[in-house]
Amino acid sequence: MSWGPGFFYYRCPSCGKKFMYAQDLMVEFGADYGKCPFCGTMGEYVKDGPRGLDDAEYFEVEE
Amino acid sequence: MAKKTIITVAPTGAWPKKANNPNVPMTPSEIADEIYDCWQAGAAIAHLHMRDDQGNGTMDTAKFEETLRLFRERYPDCDIILNLTTSGDIHADDDIRVAHVIKLKPEMASYDCGSMNWLNSGLFLNTPQFLERCGLLFQELNVKPEIEAFDPGMIANAAYYLKKGVLKAPLHFQFCMGCANGIPGSMKNLLFMKETMEQLCPGSTWSTFGVGHCALEMLYGAVALGGHIRVGMEDNVMYGKGQLADSNRQFVERAARVIREYGNEVATPDEAREILGLKK
Repeated sequence: MSWGPGFFYYRCPSCGKKFMYAQDLMVEFGADYGKCPFCGTMGEYVKDGPRGLDDAEYFEVEE
Repeated sequence: MAKKTIITVAPTGAWPKKANNPNVPMTPSEIADEIYDCWQAGAAIAHLHMRDDQGNGTMDTAKFEETLRLFRERYPDCDIILNLTTSGDIHADDDIRVAHVIKLKPEMASYDCGSMNWLNSGLFLNTPQFLERCGLLFQELNVKPEIEAFDPGMIANAAYYLKKGVLKAPLHFQFCMGCANGIPGSMKNLLFMKETMEQLCPGSTWSTFGVGHCALEMLYGAVALGGHIRVGMEDNVMYGKGQLADSNRQFVERAARVIREYGNEVATPDEAREILGLKK
């Protein structure tokens, strides 16, 4: 039984944008994991879990 | 002679619903049709989960039975290997988790070789008592365990049960890569899983799948490292970035293309039986 990838969902305290990081990319992003891809500010944790129905509200950071 | 690579399709799984991807097969009828479609595209093994009428994962024997009945009635020509999950509902008790295996005697069934946290929200419990019971039961029923390992410790656990006689060599592993709380899916980690298996359980065969970002990396890695591959909507509802999968067949066709372009051949179900030591 698998359960798909887990994600961390964030909101940027500076620019207000919402974004998400897959948990399996923690190694790749290192200390940058959780930072806003638009302004570089560390995001505020909103929630974590599997893909959700509101994913379209979040920009998925992949690289 | 070209190496044969086995494609397993896992069409449904326990968590994705129509809301996540409207193409996930949920009912016995949909699952039966999906198995056949994937077999035509090159899948040799179908790893099956069931859903209740609300779409939640269930270990209800009647659902497994209905699916297999429909499948066999509609597609008597299909010789795909059926691999039934024993872990389709984290709330199911041990008796329910094996009831369908006892009744239906599939060629394969999953054997999750350790416990872990399920998506940081619940326990995915596979107690020593359950694993001993399953291993011995599978031997008695001539059901080949597909040993799902979510981290290297689960391979060590399989080696323990092998020494104890609960499992019988040669083992077949499914390396589950990139699941939340499991080993992250990277080539380095896949190689480590393979080497750990070769040290602890020499002579075993292995397959792998990656969820999310690592899905393609694991597909290419499996082929390059001489393993087998599992694909399907249990593990990924997305076919690519921003693209929902149209069907499970789409994943199987891609795996078959990669296998052939690498120079291998896609194993037929009978070739898979030979590779895995199954007695039909």
